[in-house]
Amino acid sequence: MSDASLTSGAAPTRAKKSLMAVDVRTRKRNAAEKRFRAYGIAAIVTGMFFLIVLAVSIVRSGLPAFSHTVVSVEFNLTEEQFADAESQLFKTKAYEALLIEEIRSALVARGLDVEFDSDAIARLLGKPGGTLREHYRANEQDLGQPVRFELAAASRVDGYLTGRVTRDTLQDSRFLQGSDLDLIDALVDADIITRAFNWNFIMGADTGVDNPGGAGIGASVIGSFFMMLVVLVLSLPIGVAASIYLEEFAPQNRFTDLIEVNISNLAAVPSIVFGILGLAVFIQFMQLPQSAPLVGGLVLTLMTLPTIIISTRASLKSVPPSIRDAALGVGASKMQAVFHHVLPLAMPGILTGTIIGLAQALGETAPLLLIGMVGFVARGYPDGVMSGFVDPNSAMPAQIYTWAARADASFYEKAWGGIIILLLFLLTMNIIAIILRRKFERRW
Amino acid sequence: MKDTFIAEKDVDQKTVKIAARDVQVWYGDNHAIKDVNVDIEDKTVTAFIGPSGCGKSTFLRCINRMNDTIDICRVTGDIRIDGEDIYDRKVDPVQLRAKVGMVFQKPNPFPKSIYDNVAYGPRIHGLSRNKAELDEIVERALKRAAIWNEVKDRLTAPGTGLSGGQQQRLCIARAVATEPEVLLMDEPCSALDPIATAQVEELIDELRQNYSVVIVTHSMQQAARVSQKTAFFHLGHLVEFGETDKIFTAPEDERTESYITGRIG
Repeated sequence: MSDASLTSGAAPTRAKKSLMAVDVRTRKRNAAEKRFRAYGIAAIVTGMFFLIVLAVSIVRSGLPAFSHTVVSVEFNLTEEQFADAESQLFKTKAYEALLIEEIRSALVARGLDVEFDSDAIARLLGKPGGTLREHYRANEQDLGQPVRFELAAASRVDGYLTGRVTRDTLQDSRFLQGSDLDLIDALVDADIITRAFNWNFIMGADTGVDNPGGAGIGASVIGSFFMMLVVLVLSLPIGVAASIYLEEFAPQNRFTDLIEVNISNLAAVPSIVFGILGLAVFIQFMQLPQSAPLVGGLVLTLMTLPTIIISTRASLKSVPPSIRDAALGVGASKMQAVFHHVLPLAMPGILTGTIIGLAQALGETAPLLLIGMVGFVARGYPDGVMSGFVDPNSAMPAQIYTWAARADASFYEKAWGGIIILLLFLLTMNIIAIILRRKFERRW
Repeated sequence: MKDTFIAEKDVDQKTVKIAARDVQVWYGDNHAIKDVNVDIEDKTVTAFIGPSGCGKSTFLRCINRMNDTIDICRVTGDIRIDGEDIYDRKVDPVQLRAKVGMVFQKPNPFPKSIYDNVAYGPRIHGLSRNKAELDEIVERALKRAAIWNEVKDRLTAPGTGLSGGQQQRLCIARAVATEPEVLLMDEPCSALDPIATAQVEELIDELRQNYSVVIVTHSMQQAARVSQKTAFFHLGHLVEFGETDKIFTAPEDERTESYITGRIG
């Protein structure tokens, strides 16, 4: 073949073009590229917009949960009053009556120029009786001398100060009346009603539906913690062992293919299905206690396992086969090759997958619904490590769900606050994941 | 470059180290190695040459049973090292691979320190009783692989940070550290530049004093330079096997001649 044969004949001659003029084809191509970039930027901007809206609305709605309105009073309980209150049928009611009487006389002494009566004071206070009784039972030496208490105010008072309840929207009810607002204003001026950081929300336990002021997420944080412990301890070794076997040792046949397909499908199964499975197997068949973090952890383990297996297998696969060859070539056994060389290299990926799985499990509500962790009122902390696993408790997302379903509007605020705490936990876990990945990746 | 230079090497009658008889290899339905019979001698460099896909690497990997790791691979026939059938039921491939070291096409140091790379084999085989002995083994292996002077001051540096040629010599050091009797090399210089190649070739010639070396290579010049015996593979058959200078100067088979003169391959 020679060049001559190509140029001879009726071959169309190509017109010379200047580099300065952009031809149609190139212009089209450039336009397409520009369009594509615009789509990409638009997608990112949309995502960012929604993220910002979400973050702002969470913070705006949730922040009030971290502070609360307190009524600060000095209270003097004598030993006779203590003995008398303890002898009554409704003990906390008795304390409450004493407190209200004390406040009333104190206010009368100060000479506030608003109308009020004992009932009005009672409406302003949350449920102070229990707090008082607990204090005096624990510190009997305080009897007979003045003690300063900061008692959580009723949720409507809280709402009035945060702007949720206004004079226009207020409807007179047994909870709060229009005339009470004047009293609140006067007490705020007198520095008796103030706002303070609500440690109880972070540290405390849940309360009944009638006392949103005292509700805290602390106990359910502990519940979530024990659940995550169960999930981590079970799903990490089982998941990693299963993936190592499937990836490195198992023969490739129809049976292992079947297992593989099933694992992929399990990862896509709705979490509520795992919940009902847990109910049937762990509670009804194995007779494990209801609402226990142990059972919650077991259910979430089932849910997390496919995620961990899939990500572990992917990271094992990404280790170059030359490393396995190298290890086998110097006479390492298959297991030595995997554990000395492949696994350390796959570690960052495994850890990332595990923490993503854990984060998923941490935020899961639906399966907990079915094993009785939703709607359970976690009124206190577990007594010890063992009871942390088996005593009924709630979990963070379950607690948020419970609060969101309650009638009192202050619980709505608590739910948002709980979401902030949950997100902080997830953020912490993700940061840990990133740090661990960095740490292990350096070994490459 | 004296490309066609063929070393004048004295070839005495040596003991047979590896004897292969009627070796067949199948990858699934693909018959990759057909009826290979070969005797590989001790303290000799044997080169396997042939066009891509002719089965020379496959046969090499049979010698230390690296093909076991491939599920669909099936080997029949008889390969004996010192008269012992390595495919016998009683043979553990792990023990075999300690005896038959291997260096791969692409340098594949572990992502660990230079020291740990070399010490890994002796450690898992329990060749040293204490740290001092292990240090000695590592030093000897690195010296034998002609890389000691370059790395002695940075034994704790990662092996992956070395240059390509240094990495390959590190892999050779790693292979010789376990005191193998046979050293298999699968195109050890294909990823190296000419200078590194020359260093590795020089090294191969030195290693011959202690080991039986089998090297697969695509470069006929390299085969001519480093080996005493050459085997030519074509389409799964061992076409010709003999003294290197004879193969390159007076091949008996027509296909061998075509290959070394560049007409097929």
